Amino acid sequence: MKGGFVHLDVATAYSAHYGVSRPADLAAAAGADGQDALACTDRDGLYGAVKHLGACIEQGIDPILGVNLAILSGVGSPRRAGSPPRRHVIGRVVVLARGHRRGAGYAALCRLVSAAHGMDGVGDAGKAGARIVGVTRDVLADYASGRRLRPELRLAAGEEPLLTVLLGPESDVGQAAVGHDHRLLRRRLSAWRRALPEGALALAAVTHLNVPGSRLSTSHAVRITRAGRESGLPVVLTNAVRYADPDGAATADVLDAVRAAQPLQQLAEEQEAWQPNGQGWLKSTASMIRVAQSVGQAAGGVEVAVDLLEQTRRIADLSRLDPVADVGWGLPVVPEARIIGIDGDPDRELKQRCEAGITRLYNGPALPRLGRADEAALRDRLEDELSVIAELGFAAYFLTVAEVAQLISDLGIRNAARGSGASSLVNYLLGISHVDPLKHDLIFERFLSRRRTTLPDIDIDVESAERHRVYREIFDRFGAERVTLMSMQNAYRARGAVRDAGLALGLEPERIDDIAKQLWRFSAGSFREALEEKPELARFAEQVSSHRQLDLLVDLTERLDRLPRHISMHPCGVILSDASLLDRTPVQASGLGLPMSQFDKHDMDPMGMIKLDVLGVRMQSAMAYAVAEIRRLHGSAGEVAAAGAHGTDYVHSDGTIMLEHIPQDDEATFELIRSTHTLGCFQIESPGQRELVGKLAPQRFNDLIIDISLFRPGPMKSNMVKPYLENRHGFAPEVYPHPDLRPALAETHGVTVFHEQILRILNVMTGCAYDEADVLRRYLGNPDREPEVEEFFRTEATRKNYDRAVVDEVWETLRAFGSFGFCKAHGAAFAVPTYQSAWLKTHHPEAFLAGLWEHDPGMYPKRLLVAEARRLGIPILPLDVNESDVSYRVQRCDDGRLGIRLALSGVYGVSATEVRRLRAGQPYGSLSDVRERSGLRRVSLERYAALGAFDSLQRGRGNRADLVRHWGRNAAASVPARYQPIAGQLPLPLPDLELATLQLGAPAPTAEETVGTELDLLSLDVSAHLMDSHAGTLRRLGTTTAADLLGLRNGSEVLVAGIRVATQTPPMRGGRRVVFISIDDGTGCVDCTFFHEAQQASAPFLFGTRLLLIHGITRRTGPRGISVQAVQAWDLADAASLPDREELPDARQLARHRASPVPQLRAAERLDTLMEAEGLDNRVAAS
Amino acid sequence: MGLFTQSLDVVLTEGGVLSALTWRGQRYDVLEEPLQWYERRKWWEEEQRAERGRGRGLVDHEIWRVQARGARDGDLRTFDLSHHVSSGRWRMIRLHDAVREEAA
Repeated sequence: MKGGFVHLDVATAYSAHYGVSRPADLAAAAGADGQDALACTDRDGLYGAVKHLGACIEQGIDPILGVNLAILSGVGSPRRAGSPPRRHVIGRVVVLARGHRRGAGYAALCRLVSAAHGMDGVGDAGKAGARIVGVTRDVLADYASGRRLRPELRLAAGEEPLLTVLLGPESDVGQAAVGHDHRLLRRRLSAWRRALPEGALALAAVTHLNVPGSRLSTSHAVRITRAGRESGLPVVLTNAVRYADPDGAATADVLDAVRAAQPLQQLAEEQEAWQPNGQGWLKSTASMIRVAQSVGQAAGGVEVAVDLLEQTRRIADLSRLDPVADVGWGLPVVPEARIIGIDGDPDRELKQRCEAGITRLYNGPALPRLGRADEAALRDRLEDELSVIAELGFAAYFLTVAEVAQLISDLGIRNAARGSGASSLVNYLLGISHVDPLKHDLIFERFLSRRRTTLPDIDIDVESAERHRVYREIFDRFGAERVTLMSMQNAYRARGAVRDAGLALGLEPERIDDIAKQLWRFSAGSFREALEEKPELARFAEQVSSHRQLDLLVDLTERLDRLPRHISMHPCGVILSDASLLDRTPVQASGLGLPMSQFDKHDMDPMGMIKLDVLGVRMQSAMAYAVAEIRRLHGSAGEVAAAGAHGTDYVHSDGTIMLEHIPQDDEATFELIRSTHTLGCFQIESPGQRELVGKLAPQRFNDLIIDISLFRPGPMKSNMVKPYLENRHGFAPEVYPHPDLRPALAETHGVTVFHEQILRILNVMTGCAYDEADVLRRYLGNPDREPEVEEFFRTEATRKNYDRAVVDEVWETLRAFGSFGFCKAHGAAFAVPTYQSAWLKTHHPEAFLAGLWEHDPGMYPKRLLVAEARRLGIPILPLDVNESDVSYRVQRCDDGRLGIRLALSGVYGVSATEVRRLRAGQPYGSLSDVRERSGLRRVSLERYAALGAFDSLQRGRGNRADLVRHWGRNAAASVPARYQPIAGQLPLPLPDLELATLQLGAPAPTAEETVGTELDLLSLDVSAHLMDSHAGTLRRLGTTTAADLLGLRNGSEVLVAGIRVATQTPPMRGGRRVVFISIDDGTGCVDCTFFHEAQQASAPFLFGTRLLLIHGITRRTGPRGISVQAVQAWDLADAASLPDREELPDARQLARHRASPVPQLRAAERLDTLMEAEGLDNRVAAS
Repeated sequence: MGLFTQSLDVVLTEGGVLSALTWRGQRYDVLEEPLQWYERRKWWEEEQRAERGRGRGLVDHEIWRVQARGARDGDLRTFDLSHHVSSGRWRMIRLHDAVREEAA
């Protein structure tokens, strides 16, 4: 059969909880079988469409796109008069877009899918999840005929229908065909014929060779075929594909069970709920011909079989898409010029705005004028960038991004570009980025060049708390037809996979929960492997070997691994385009209510969509909060400067600190950073980073850029950290492979750290331009391309007379550096908020900590920051019904110091509405007043009482426990509204009846109980440190505190104890996993390292246990740093299990044989591993 | 209808179609082209493993319904046989009452 069979009904894995195989695997299977086209018809959306297009292009076969949609009943009866009619699903159909119609077929498909999600102004929209996804027959007909398209598309489309509707076994017609009710079948079929335009309808026969007479049996297919032939409609043959090969069938079974939320065993009793057998794979042309023959034979003879195959081929031909002409593959589309406020040539407009930027940033009246040489460099650079942008036709894109940045700034919201966008002078001049690329030697070609023709990524960080407002403003500004949020695919990971596999097998939920909790950061795809390696899974591994169901559980978990589960709003992506956007992507409602594309970030470039990452950064919110708090507290520039012991140049007269303008050479700030007390500071607060800043001892802003850049997998893997530190501190001489490289490498003492340095090395030694150098850099680390880079480098460098030894040495660096290095522009962009946060912590620690508590930006639990406040001597003011605000406030104490007042919000179980009402009613004169006006529920009254919020109103009568009991006994009944004082009116100063009737005698809570209450309700230990209650045990055991640890020698045996604050498991580094656990004991943090044997000795406590006792030996990590290499850990809360000091084994003995001979080396390795872990985490978080 | 599960020997044509089988010591010749379909298995009850890459035959098995005449006694019988794809084994799973089948 020429061109092979074409599958027209194929669900990919992007049909969540339905399809099994990825588009690439399906297209590869089709290609390998000689099929010359393949459809992708995911359920409810085009979720896999772009991947399918890419896979088909790769295979050289024609893509076909469609969707599998539910059809809703046309007439529903309203539940009550006036409410929208209730519709129900009357079956599902496959709808295919017609191709070679200048995009009109694809546009109709996109709009239809959006309509099915209530997003195209059709039908009852409703909230996400609240309505059934589907369309009525009439709506479907409107899209098939093109009636609902934009006029220009409709004209281009012509007369023929734009969509083909396949009525298969899942349709109402197909369902009727299971039985023998021919009249029902005919009636349903004629309803379809009446509704749809001529030529849009076909029937689809499917047989999964199920038991004769039942659904998806050959007889079912035969009846559908006969119905089509009788009515003169075309009948195609499909296989309702869900997996690429027979192996996927078991996975499909599990997905069916998950979708139905029923165990397999139960599904087996209700045959209708799932696939009847395992025949739904992408069968070969030969198999499908055999299927056609068997259907044909039973339906009337050979000519029926031939007709089935021919009609399938004919519909396939109508549906073949031209990726470029129909779908716009690879064609970037920017908003129309008038939308970004220009009426002339975008290139000229861009140039003018850059000129304005020069005046604003360099030659403004308040700024030092540029020297002649600098001016020339600036002009050259600008000229250069503008010519590249003009040549690529991206001016409108830059203007669009500038428009967004301007819009955000106009809202008064902090924002900053992150990433390689900081390399561009144009971005700086337009106000998109706040880093001067000339000052930091950043190279434009790293960001954009004539050789990089895809749209560059510009990411904008904004205050996290304002992100949604920013989104709404962008929609308003550009128009809802040009903007949509991007989505992301959430895939199965280990825990979810094991839960759902367990559900399918019918294991008890508690048991599954137990297992799921033990899974810690590994891919479920290698579950079986993990069982053998991970000590915390040892008990489970043992059960597996003796328990058949658990054995299966492991296999099914592996099968589910990484399958898409659902889509959700991407955390930052906003798609901007012109008015044709919704013809090119279907949208559905996001959790925010704003429309969200069904495409994810991988789909953007191929679909020519501009994606802007508007990232919510909590640190930006925390800093904005701190700045506002400082202004509120001090009120004027002079007061602010005096309170913070800093200058006034960058403080607005109303007391607003302009963080963009603070001096970047503040010695006090660098002193703080060098002290490693950087908890809460952006990017430099993790255990590994604290270790690195301690060793690096930054003195200038550029050192911070280097620090942040070093703390990445690339520089770490290529062993840059140690030599850099040694050279920096003069322990080793700086070595340059050749004097020519000195200018490029001097800032990092001869060590290659930045991508920019790679480009300069290539430029110097081979003479290639930066844009070419960036292409070469990208090939590094790619085994297919690296050899040509080496060849080029060696040839050209030799031609430029560099001798063999130099070439060898430099090549070794380039090779090792690979593609892993770090872009200095990224580092520079990150260093800005890092420095700003450290500056705030140095000069206004109270306001800064309040901002951190309010917005919780860091990696540590909030309670650790309480410990930090305690360390800094900042009073933490207790919760008070009159003094506390909704947020954390800085308040002046009686002794003149500034303290932080706990907030009314953040109490467990108290709603935001209650908090608002409580705050609105302040001040409260008495307990009765609180009861009458606060509107707090009884349980909330009890909670605030337990936390001491009413202590001041008790005026010394009784204690907290009395009041908790009192509120508990006397249900709060607030006074009817008419008796309540109106706003502004003070309640009458009546004697406090509540207080008078308070029964006394409850034992006052002990300090330990108070801390317990605080932890339960606030997740903070405020009045004392949690560890204080274990003081007795710790004394008996003879533990060392974090503060005392620093005074010990390297290699001292210690017991440390504390609360877990961070756990990290870096990826395997040349062998076995290392686990890092940081604990806090009230005097500071202790960072502990668990190597393999220690993990085995501590297996039950590695991940779940909160309070830990750890035995180990000290390891010096630098002049101001020390860590503990653990030997064993125990659960401190389980007193009976704790060891006796005398019985402890010799930790030095135990630690020695696994530590390397030189402790320093060990420490360096540890740092590397830590950095790898955190660096990777950062990279993941940033991508 | 009787329910069985016992293995048996079969004769296949070159095209892979069943032409004869031996049951209880008697050879039966298949009369018409057999019906063939796939029935689900309760693999989660029956199997120890369901690992990725296991291939076909885990979720369903092939069923053949054949009408055959006993070479010795001349009786017409209808058998349901299962064919386990990966092991190649054939089993008798159902024996239909021949007379009633014909009358139906």
